[in-house]
Amino acid sequence: MEMGDKDKFELEKRSDNHINYHSPDSMPSDWRYSSANVANSSLGLVSTDNQMPVCRGDLVGVSSCSSASMVDSFSPGQWDHPTNSQYLGFCDISVQNNASTSNPMGIRKGGPASLRTGLDKTLDIGWNPPSSMLKGGIFLPTAPGVLPQSLSQFPEDSAFIERAASGLKSLSVVQGQKNVMNMGDSSRDTSLSVEHVAIEGSPLKNEKKSGSLVRSHDEAKQGVGGSGNESEEAEFSGGGRQDKPSKLEGNGGEQSAKSPASKKRKRNGQDADLDQAKGTQQSVEAAKDNPEVQQKGDENPTSTPIKATGKQCKLGSQASDPPKEEYIHVRARRGQATNSHSLAERVRREKISERMKFLQDLVPGCSKVTGKAVMLDEIINYVQSLQRQVEFLSMKLATVNPRLDFNTEGLLAKDILHSRAVSSSTLAFSAEVPMVYPPFNASQPGFIQASFPGMESHSDMLRRAINSQLTPMTGGFKETTQLPNAWDDELHNVVQMGYVTCAPQDSQDINGSLPPGHMKAEL
Amino acid sequence: MNPHHHSSYLNPNSLKSRFTKNFLRSLIKINKQTPFPCRPTEMFQRCHKVKTAADKSLACAVGSRRVWSRAMLCKIRNRALRRGPQKPPSVRRIIINNRTMKKGFNCLKEKMNDDQEAGIDQTSKLRKLVPGGEAMDLCNLLDEAAHYIKCLNTQVQEIHDAERIESLGKD
Repeated sequence: MEMGDKDKFELEKRSDNHINYHSPDSMPSDWRYSSANVANSSLGLVSTDNQMPVCRGDLVGVSSCSSASMVDSFSPGQWDHPTNSQYLGFCDISVQNNASTSNPMGIRKGGPASLRTGLDKTLDIGWNPPSSMLKGGIFLPTAPGVLPQSLSQFPEDSAFIERAASGLKSLSVVQGQKNVMNMGDSSRDTSLSVEHVAIEGSPLKNEKKSGSLVRSHDEAKQGVGGSGNESEEAEFSGGGRQDKPSKLEGNGGEQSAKSPASKKRKRNGQDADLDQAKGTQQSVEAAKDNPEVQQKGDENPTSTPIKATGKQCKLGSQASDPPKEEYIHVRARRGQATNSHSLAERVRREKISERMKFLQDLVPGCSKVTGKAVMLDEIINYVQSLQRQVEFLSMKLATVNPRLDFNTEGLLAKDILHSRAVSSSTLAFSAEVPMVYPPFNASQPGFIQASFPGMESHSDMLRRAINSQLTPMTGGFKETTQLPNAWDDELHNVVQMGYVTCAPQDSQDINGSLPPGHMKAEL
Repeated sequence: MNPHHHSSYLNPNSLKSRFTKNFLRSLIKINKQTPFPCRPTEMFQRCHKVKTAADKSLACAVGSRRVWSRAMLCKIRNRALRRGPQKPPSVRRIIINNRTMKKGFNCLKEKMNDDQEAGIDQTSKLRKLVPGGEAMDLCNLLDEAAHYIKCLNTQVQEIHDAERIESLGKD
């Protein structure tokens, strides 16, 4: 089978495992099943991947089998052990592979998404489970420290190991969330699934579970060990973001790189949001997933892997974008180009539209505006009007003869108090500014008279009361953009204000402002 | 919105209170330096000083957290330097310059895309309006613009209040 052991593995796993995924115990049987399918001994590797130390043993056992017999070595017991990571890893793989069968998120570990995708691909052949398992198993011992040890124990069946590793990784990475998603997706490409598994394992570990396929690609290459680490980490991180979805080339070293990619996938599955993973990564993953394919070792973002990814992503991604980490993992949505450039472009466009929406809230009167151009025009107008307002007000302020007693604190207090009253006026950017914004202070005529000469808060209150009268004049100030003529009116007002010596004594209605005593307290 | 403003005012560290403090202090200084002028030239100078004070205190209140505030401070200091042998601004200005320039180079490519996306005229207009906007890509530019709008609103409110108080007390 072209898919390689992994594919078979995955396929099998899928079919069997979906049920079992949910419970570790069941897993073993699945594993067993799948392992049986897997002709490679890499199965053993898979098991070892898991973070569990037990996995290590399993892996060892698995690895020891260099042939189909290895499958047998995956005795349920073995599988039982690595329930944790291994299973997860495997589950992911199988899940993916089975996609259809189930998503036993038993292997929650890795982003199932990534695993799945990879697995799916491989599963097609029916080998997915096995392959994924392999990968998962290998990745399971994602614990950075653990994995290497475990992996080292097995015989190097590079292809098998790689596959298994990738599968494991993805499994582990999925950690369950993605698994579910991936499961569905994974049904697709076995080859990819393999890769995904690998990738997922690593990415999960690393940080982001973007579940990009890239990882699987690398993982496969790197062999179980490498990918295992990644997957383990991914698993451990449990949703931590995987590192950047850099392509993981080579073994070991790149695991982390792979994991981001695979994580991406997994994550995507979870998030149901398939942004486009970096094209290259995807391709890498895809390539890696298939041991056979990978053997070539190139992770280029070939169209095939990307497509696979895209498809897989699609399943997962239906929804929201995965959270963006240092490396933005994007999954291509269905029917969208998966070119890396367009992916990045899409991300960028989404960011921009996000910000435009935020600006829409800021700029008053823009809720109905649609379209970037119009919105931008509005924003520009608003900013211009605000700047002009500042200029105008500062000019007004400059022309006003400052009080002799420049009581900063008093001013501050007044400002604070005023803000309450004024905020309402300033908010009224639209024309209908109600003329009267009653000063919040309950200044009564008595206050006014008492505090008239002073600069204390009383005077402030007095001023506010007086201001309330002026509010109508200045209220129109806010409408600058809409009423350019208001500027002239304002100028008149300024002049008038300068000459206002005595404001009417009657205080305007005050809306729930604090009584003077309160104001003082705030001071 | 009122409650929101209210809380922000009461918060001694809010942008508004920081801005108000700075602004009032600078107003006091201006008033001390230039007694209320009678001649139009003096008045003009005073107006300009007040406006600069308002901008500067806003930028200082925001601090270096934002590109636009840094750019604005830089601009003000450069202007002051260029003005003449007055008190030289701090060396910080130079540092700010470098930062801005570097950003500009990096964003050139993105800026071209931005223009295509959102309309060249508008983007360039926005860049001119927002201080420091020349050196940002559209994404960041929108971010900065949003924050700038928020701060401008605050500034307008504060100056408006101060002006009202002043004018009232002036009688």
